[in-house]
Amino acid sequence: MIPPRAPVSHQPLRQLKNRIATGLITAGGIGVLLAILAIGVFLVWETLPLLGLDQTFALVKLSPLAWGTLKAALAAMLFALPIALGAAMYSALFMSARLRSRIKPALEMMEAIPGVVIGFIAGLVLAPWVERHLASTLVVLVWLPLSAGLAGVLWHLLSSRLRQGLPLSWAGLWLVPWLAGMLMLALWLAPLLETMLPGGDLRQWLEQRWGLDYATRNALVVGIAMGFAVIPSIYALAEDALADVPHALMEGAQALGASRWQALWKVALPAAGPSIFSAVMIGAGRAVGETMIVLMASGNTALFSASPFEGMRSMAAAIAIELPEASPGGLTYRYLILAALVLFIFTFLVNTLAEMVRLRMRRRYQKAGRY
Amino acid sequence: MRRQFTASSLRLLDRLWPWLCAASVALSLLMLTALLSLLLVRGLGHFWPATLEEVTLRSGEVVTGEAIRETSLPQEAGAERLYFTGNRDVSGANWRWLALDDIVQRTTPEALVRLERTPWGDFIGRLVGIDAEGEQLEGQPAWEYLTAALALPASQRPSGELVLATADGQILRQPLASISHATAPNAMTWWQKTSAWGQRVWQFLSEGPRAANTSGGVWPAIFGTLLMVILMSVIVTPFGVLAAIYLNEIAHQNRLTRLVRIGVRNLAGVPSIVYGVFGLGVFVYGIGGSLDSWFFSNTLPSPTFGTGGLLWASLTLALLTLPVVIVATEEGLARIPDAQREGAVALGATRLEMLMRIVLPMAVPAMLTGVILAVARAAGEVAPLMLVGVAKLAPQMPVDGEFPYLHLERKFMHLGYHLFDTAFHGEDVQAAMPLVYATALLLVLIVLVLNLTAIFLRHYFRRQRGNEC
Amino acid sequence: MLASLDSANASQAPVTHFPAEHRALSIERFSLAYAGKPALRELSLDVPRHRVTAFIGPSGCGKSTLLRAINRLHDLNESVEHSGRIELEGQDIYAPRTNVTELRRRVGMVFQTPNPFPMSIYENVAFGLRLQHRLPKRQRDDIIEWALTSAALWDEVKDRLHRSAWQLSGGQQQRLVIARTLAVQPDVLLLDEPASALDPISTLKIEELIRNLKSQLTLILVTHNMQQAARVSDYTAFMHGGELVEYGTTDQVFTNPRLQRTENYITGRMT
Repeated sequence: MIPPRAPVSHQPLRQLKNRIATGLITAGGIGVLLAILAIGVFLVWETLPLLGLDQTFALVKLSPLAWGTLKAALAAMLFALPIALGAAMYSALFMSARLRSRIKPALEMMEAIPGVVIGFIAGLVLAPWVERHLASTLVVLVWLPLSAGLAGVLWHLLSSRLRQGLPLSWAGLWLVPWLAGMLMLALWLAPLLETMLPGGDLRQWLEQRWGLDYATRNALVVGIAMGFAVIPSIYALAEDALADVPHALMEGAQALGASRWQALWKVALPAAGPSIFSAVMIGAGRAVGETMIVLMASGNTALFSASPFEGMRSMAAAIAIELPEASPGGLTYRYLILAALVLFIFTFLVNTLAEMVRLRMRRRYQKAGRY
Repeated sequence: MRRQFTASSLRLLDRLWPWLCAASVALSLLMLTALLSLLLVRGLGHFWPATLEEVTLRSGEVVTGEAIRETSLPQEAGAERLYFTGNRDVSGANWRWLALDDIVQRTTPEALVRLERTPWGDFIGRLVGIDAEGEQLEGQPAWEYLTAALALPASQRPSGELVLATADGQILRQPLASISHATAPNAMTWWQKTSAWGQRVWQFLSEGPRAANTSGGVWPAIFGTLLMVILMSVIVTPFGVLAAIYLNEIAHQNRLTRLVRIGVRNLAGVPSIVYGVFGLGVFVYGIGGSLDSWFFSNTLPSPTFGTGGLLWASLTLALLTLPVVIVATEEGLARIPDAQREGAVALGATRLEMLMRIVLPMAVPAMLTGVILAVARAAGEVAPLMLVGVAKLAPQMPVDGEFPYLHLERKFMHLGYHLFDTAFHGEDVQAAMPLVYATALLLVLIVLVLNLTAIFLRHYFRRQRGNEC
Repeated sequence: MLASLDSANASQAPVTHFPAEHRALSIERFSLAYAGKPALRELSLDVPRHRVTAFIGPSGCGKSTLLRAINRLHDLNESVEHSGRIELEGQDIYAPRTNVTELRRRVGMVFQTPNPFPMSIYENVAFGLRLQHRLPKRQRDDIIEWALTSAALWDEVKDRLHRSAWQLSGGQQQRLVIARTLAVQPDVLLLDEPASALDPISTLKIEELIRNLKSQLTLILVTHNMQQAARVSDYTAFMHGGELVEYGTTDQVFTNPRLQRTENYITGRMT
């Protein structure tokens, strides 16, 4: 009962359609990729005329901006690195799988919070508060890590029944109220500590003793705000890197008598080191290019100052403020585009480097896992 | 002895460092919840009809207003409380700090009303009466007349004049037409307050800003954001998908493709302001300037397309989110087993037929995820928009009844920029703060919901595929 | 006539060629290199029409590569180079004027793991038909029923033709893939270890199906399962290192191999 073979129809048309569509997709795809490439070409093209000019203006114009960018990024990294890496180590090595599957997306949600919102909170809520409660802020920054250690000491003193109720693998969650309580304690204690200073006012004391000026919007505020914004990206990548380290490696080291600390330093960190480094680089790239937070929380004063209590102006913020007013083709316009080019090249190189390190590490572990 | 010391300190370290790490997670969570709850409380709390106080000072002066917050004074000089008093036309200021020591008495009389007026901002005081079309009403009937009149659409409202009294006894007359809302919060029941809260949230979402962004709503900004994001998706989706198909299905897989792939991935990490610079230089000054000199030379030197606008903003953000869409789509394409492609080809399908009938339908969830992520990124992005097209207060909406209905060259309002602008360049930042909080909350909610949708979609489709295979 | 061919070949020295009227496929000095590494070297053999021919050999011997070359599936991969000829019913399939999609319709292929498309059972079988012709629904339904019946699947799925094909069991999926290929009425059916991912009962069903199908078309079976080759095939080609070692009737190759290498492999002394 083989049915008669139906006549084959519209064959040439199918082939033609296929050729045309393949051609279109190829053209479109290459076009899109070229359009992306055009960004770099445009930036270089617009800054070429600067080559023949006297470079002192560039130095005067750009070096405070470069300094401000570095200072902001450095402040952010100082705040973000310990928290992000600590969180990554904890969730890769100790956290219970169930908690991890909840916490990871929650922390990744942090990344989605728009910079303009963080900048608003930093500039209009955090900055005035810190200005009024500088001593409390500093006390909190020191006290919180200490209180975490205290929690550890107390936990070891607990009875084993209580310890089972508060396991380390869930500590990421149940430490939240503890930290909140410790925060309250610090806020209550700080004014008392401040009165012990000569003059009873930290800001005055800083000014008289060390000659430090205090600006409402300063590097401290920028560091906290931008650090908050950078934590999730460093955390996510570093966590992946640590979770990729084969468990057998860590267990093997501990079976040989190494403590968890030694196992981490001698085994996990060297193995995941390059990937963690690339996570840090990507975080730094974000911090360097972030515009809105610096714009809103830094005061935008182009200063050369290393003081954490003074503001700065970053390249990205300068572009956002000055470029719309600069006349196209003018000197300022070109210098701002040069700043954009610097940002572009820096972030692109940093990310490429990080990505290549990451891919290489991943391949290595896939091999290690197989054999 | 020394060895013992290092050994014991090492043991201590070994015990404590997990706790420091755990505290990092806890601290991140704490900061996240603190930020979100601050936005929630301040953003939503503003719409709750606040109690109005009548405060008698030691000097005998009487002040009416809404208590905002208290601060302690330096050198143990006591504390101050900030009141929103309104009545800028009478007293010259909306705000007043009162030292707690000066306050003799605080009462909350039910007769206090709060009126939102178009010039001068809010009025807080008492309603004495209404002169409406020859009729003269006083007391409760006047209040009822006022609320009934305000419930009508603006064009049908009767003309009339309110007689108002401030706390210190000054009488002022106010035309009814200038009032937009009236509440007497102290006389409201809990249920009335709740429904008033709902109404005010709705007004926030559906009305335009008033009184230099210090009251009213953000509808034009929501609309502008939506329109820009929709235009952007319309541009970025086909191009992103096209580039992904080219990279994954057609291009020779060699070192060059791998490099291009890494490059595209890394463009997602290039600061958004750089895209803004590109948009300004190429789209606005380059293409827009040329368009102006070719087609709109009669209106020069005032630019038509040669200045920031809806089209250029959408294009810039499309470029910015292109890597997101390409990467997500490519991930989806790569996850489709080659067996599916070979199966189709072995049945005599051409490459186009294989792509259209087998590969693309299977990659749709990934594309959708990519576009949603792109939209989430674009909705929260402000820096490039400052260069290519937002406006503080757009005089015209980008869509109207005038041909060609959609005005791509017009400037538009954007939630994120609106937030930045009101918070940093507003006339009365203090008065605008509650609305800024509400705007920030709205923006965060939009972005979070979009991201959650993307995460959910990705999980859902991954699991579904896992079951079926 | 074919029966006489089989008996004639049973005893004689190396068969690699058949008279033109019996050969469906003729491979001449065919070589293929993958990214510069040779995978097939100077292969020559004829495949008889309406018979089951098995390619056996250790993994990596090139049997699957040869199968894919017959369907020109290597076209999807740019780094493949080849030389020599493969003729389907006298036409060089690598000639520049050959229509590849038409070739692939005439040479059906079934893969190691079942790969039904993510659509209904009906749509899976209709996929190839829709590409080739615009048929009235009645006629298409008839062909689909015929294809599913030929693949011994009709009775199991006739009540749920519009359910997802991914809900079928592995064995059913593989038979669906065969039905999908039969629906476009190919001349040759290539089977690349079609039962290696299936349980024993499904394997038996597939084998029975293969035996029944040879009245309709020419089948080529790649397998690493010697018993399966012995049970199912009429002719067997033993390949090793990209070369054809021995080719003959299955009886002869399995009971009386000419070469020591073949015997070692068949008896399991070499894998």
